[in-house]
Amino acid sequence: MTAMAKVTEEQALVERFRRGDDSAFDRIVERHSAEVAALANRLLGWPGDVDDVVQEVFVAAWVGLKKFRGECRLRTWLFTITVNKCRSHRFRRLRRLRPVTTADVEAMESRDRSGDKAAMDQETFARVRRAVQMLPRKYREIIALRYMQGLEAEEICGLLKIRPNAMQVRLNRARKRLKEQLGDLLEEES
Amino acid sequence: MNEDQIKRLLIEADATAAEPGFSPMTGAGIRSQLRRKRLVRVAVPTTAAAAVTVAAALAALWAASMRTGSPPPQPQRIASPEEQVRQLQMQTETTLKLVRDVLEKDWRERHLASLEAELASIPDPLKEIGRQVDKTAFILVYQADKLYKELNQTESAVRAYKEVIQLFPTNQWADVARERLSQIEQRQINQSGKGVSKCEPRNV
Repeated sequence: MTAMAKVTEEQALVERFRRGDDSAFDRIVERHSAEVAALANRLLGWPGDVDDVVQEVFVAAWVGLKKFRGECRLRTWLFTITVNKCRSHRFRRLRRLRPVTTADVEAMESRDRSGDKAAMDQETFARVRRAVQMLPRKYREIIALRYMQGLEAEEICGLLKIRPNAMQVRLNRARKRLKEQLGDLLEEES
Repeated sequence: MNEDQIKRLLIEADATAAEPGFSPMTGAGIRSQLRRKRLVRVAVPTTAAAAVTVAAALAALWAASMRTGSPPPQPQRIASPEEQVRQLQMQTETTLKLVRDVLEKDWRERHLASLEAELASIPDPLKEIGRQVDKTAFILVYQADKLYKELNQTESAVRAYKEVIQLFPTNQWADVARERLSQIEQRQINQSGKGVSKCEPRNV
């Protein structure tokens, strides 16, 4: 299906929902819930269970869909809600948790250095994920959206409401920080 | 270090993370949630207001009976606030009963919806097998890449790539394995042209 056909079908679904056809919303959920869950999982640091956030996103979508003006794609609009919900969810969760100390990080790193080869690969990837999690919010979001979710630059700018220059700057800084954290892994690869 | 390296590392880290778990949702489930929220928004202040009114009326009655020096209350004048309190209590009880009924009904609906969702969440076995096959093929290719690029074990890597092609011939990772094999062959041809042994591993 071409992008244009998809957009037209999405508009038709939104229009059907506005007219009171609830099954159109089921179709929207069916089509986008996996992507929304994947994005929430990445933004929240791969916790696995993202049921609450996905529910919050679609409840907000249900309430707001009647006001959706179609200025962007439905997927982008849902991703915007997801980013906002993940921010508040993370904030709520952080308030309940104690802050990560240097000792915790050292303990994580010492775990990274132990174990056999297969476990080491898993630990390496876990280390990469932790490095992404430890990035400041604006860098973490841009990394998740650009490299893991695979969104286009234009879509990210619309979603985060930033200019292309700002997006590029954030991306460069995020990469620089990751390089500082994971420099040894990247050197090994090269 | 370049963007591609970071991108690859991030994608691999993401691919090996836990799959996001969420229960399927329906429009009916969302409507039920919204109804519940609305009910709580309406019922809580109503009940609280009724309770406050009853408490205030009781306090006023008690204050009136405790007041010293005042003429003894007339039976007719006392009966009126008592009647009011009784009415308010009845109203509160009716409201509470209504809230309880609605909550119970809502709980039953939610329970039914969660059972339906549980039923719907049982994964399609074919899709699940396809996903597992995809994941296995990816891991094999990834391990073969490691053998070839990092450990310089070209022969083991070639065996692993061939295994992927043999086990999952139609999978996307089999295409990747074919591409890698052709690259290795090409490299070996080039090296043999320059007089280098075929088995010599690639220098990284």
